[in-house]
Amino acid sequence: MDENMNAVPCLAEDATADGAVWTITLKDGVAFSNGNPLTAEMVVRNLQRLAQVNERFAYLGDFDMQAVDEKTLTIDTKEIYPTLKNELANPEFGMMDLDATTDFDNDPVCTGPFVISKFQPEGDVEVVRNENYWGGNVILDGAIFYYMEEDDPKLLAMQGGEIDCYNSVSSAALAVYKQEPDKYKVVSIPGARLQFYILNEERLDDAVREAITLIVDKDKIASYMEGTVSAAVGPFNPAAPYGQVTVPAVDVAKAKKILEEDGYSLGADGVYEKNGQKLNIKIAYYSARSLDTIATLLQEQFAEVGIGVTLRNEEDPDATYIADKDFDLALYCMIADRGGDPLYFIESTLKDGAYYDCGGFNDDHCEELINQLKYETDTAKRAELANEIIQIAIDDNAFGYVGLFNSTTVLRPGVSGFAENIPFDFYGIDANTTIG
Amino acid sequence: MIVKVIKKIVSFVVILIILSFFVFLLLYLSPGDPAEKRLTSQGVAVTREMLDAERERMGLLRPFLVRYGEWLLSLVKGDFGVSFKDDMPVGPKLLNGLKNTSILALTSLFLSLVISFPLALLSAIRKNGIADHIIRFLSFIGNSLPNFLISILLMYFLCIKLKLFPVIASGSLQGLCMPVISLAIPMTARFVRQMRAEFLNQMNEDYCMGMRGRGVKSRYINLNIIRNAFGHIFTIIALQIGTLMGGSVVIETIFRWPGIGKLVMDSITARDYPVIMGFVLIMGTIYMLINQLSDVLHHFIDPRTNL
Repeated sequence: MDENMNAVPCLAEDATADGAVWTITLKDGVAFSNGNPLTAEMVVRNLQRLAQVNERFAYLGDFDMQAVDEKTLTIDTKEIYPTLKNELANPEFGMMDLDATTDFDNDPVCTGPFVISKFQPEGDVEVVRNENYWGGNVILDGAIFYYMEEDDPKLLAMQGGEIDCYNSVSSAALAVYKQEPDKYKVVSIPGARLQFYILNEERLDDAVREAITLIVDKDKIASYMEGTVSAAVGPFNPAAPYGQVTVPAVDVAKAKKILEEDGYSLGADGVYEKNGQKLNIKIAYYSARSLDTIATLLQEQFAEVGIGVTLRNEEDPDATYIADKDFDLALYCMIADRGGDPLYFIESTLKDGAYYDCGGFNDDHCEELINQLKYETDTAKRAELANEIIQIAIDDNAFGYVGLFNSTTVLRPGVSGFAENIPFDFYGIDANTTIG
Repeated sequence: MIVKVIKKIVSFVVILIILSFFVFLLLYLSPGDPAEKRLTSQGVAVTREMLDAERERMGLLRPFLVRYGEWLLSLVKGDFGVSFKDDMPVGPKLLNGLKNTSILALTSLFLSLVISFPLALLSAIRKNGIADHIIRFLSFIGNSLPNFLISILLMYFLCIKLKLFPVIASGSLQGLCMPVISLAIPMTARFVRQMRAEFLNQMNEDYCMGMRGRGVKSRYINLNIIRNAFGHIFTIIALQIGTLMGGSVVIETIFRWPGIGKLVMDSITARDYPVIMGFVLIMGTIYMLINQLSDVLHHFIDPRTNL
């Protein structure tokens, strides 16, 4: 995947589809780190293995995959499958020399510019230059990846000069780095991880949902997060062709008017009520990815308008509020853009019966469009469909897209090529990475 | 005696079985699904079909008692099972974590004792003197500082300001220093207060007053005090070892020390049942052994206590 979220050739020259049959041509000279060439047959065997060992990719087992010659393979997906190219760009699709690899867990033989010299599960990883790299010159001799979970030690290690770069920089550390721009280079771009909320249509009527959409001030939330998050419009990067949607501007007066027209009136305690019932919203959230902060900020924003809030904090959202649907507003965070295509997120949240379609959103036209999107092969048309689908969810006040995490990398001056311009978090060093 | 030992061992095993059953039950009842955690660990959503297939594959759909029975059976054969998270065997994972945590715990315990014992004694003997006030003040501070704050402050001063240690130091003796100091500071503070109280208790006993009345030199009185306080001090230490083995998660995470506390916290988040069960069993055994050992020692020091 490149900086613009497009799947670009790496091991393969190209992948083209003719109906449901994809033809993939491998680049000349691609080889494993042991010098063995990557053949089409090895690719097919890798894909078959992936289908067996990883349930998420079990669907590959239904495809007909064949090596036509040394460098060409075909994948018959049975029905039209427009996103195959994006799927193949997932990191799980890295190619291994299945014949030469003896320890799949710790020491796979692969095709990249570096080979693992030391691997500790959930510990440090050391790599050295792949002397047989097929893609040309590799600048670095090697690298060490330190497994560090806490933010403060990362900051201290950077200040102490012990590490050259890292990503997922915390807002506190960001403030420190920004004070010394000559010592640290910070690159921050909108990433693919989305914070959003689901409104429960079975518990909140249209007026309340509309009011909520008008009250939630995403810019305020993003500014509170101090550079770690960008305010979102839709679920995708606003620069992407499939990220072109609109949301109404924050308008508290209008929200109040809508509530009042719906029969709500402000009580003596400053909280709206209707038929003796206080307007109280149950916000379900979990304490990760800053969702706890968002929950508190929402509570504050609602309180200012006259809406009470009950907070429900869970450690495991999927097994609790997503499953039992006991919420008015559920906060969640997931990677919305997994490979430069909108279908995955739309199918996970908006399609009827999807795991995260737990707020009762149901729209026949939307369902129809999702089915079209599934089989549409034209990229421009796909973007158009995606925009239309997401707009329906926004207009229905079924979902609110709050923030996109920025992919923030800090580097020592002279260090570059740590995938700092690519919004996906699974990339790191490559052949061109340099420490100056 | 032999009958007594056999009885003890049988009761140990029974307690462990009951403990493991209840932990298994709690894990079964608590919300959270290992299959879902496994598939979505990178923050991507999965479909219901994928989840069901993964649950089936991991054997999560079988009845509770069957799963518990199988786990217990393989445990009897010496097999802790395979981790849900990464398919690696649980036994070596736990052993490695236990080894690292033991090194950390015992070193910091030793350091704490070496510092706190003389300080507590001094503080008790010079009760309400200047030394006592200073020691009590310091132990008050040490007690109130949370672990993570001590760690970060130490890192900042020792690594960044004084450049004595690297921030990233793993596995080596150098890497051991900082976590040991971080653990030892609050522990020393706690020991000082507890031991001081115990020494003062002894000083108010009749035998002390009697000795003083008979004009025995204070050196000998102090020796008696120390000897008589040992029993209680052992209990304090034994309790602390238990806490140390499972409770140094924060320190282990900050200093990248691959101990068992961190391993089990990660496993709880990932609902990695086999690792959690193994941990509970090992910790249960350690707790019981240490308590037993402390009872035995107590008995030798003070034969009036029953075993």
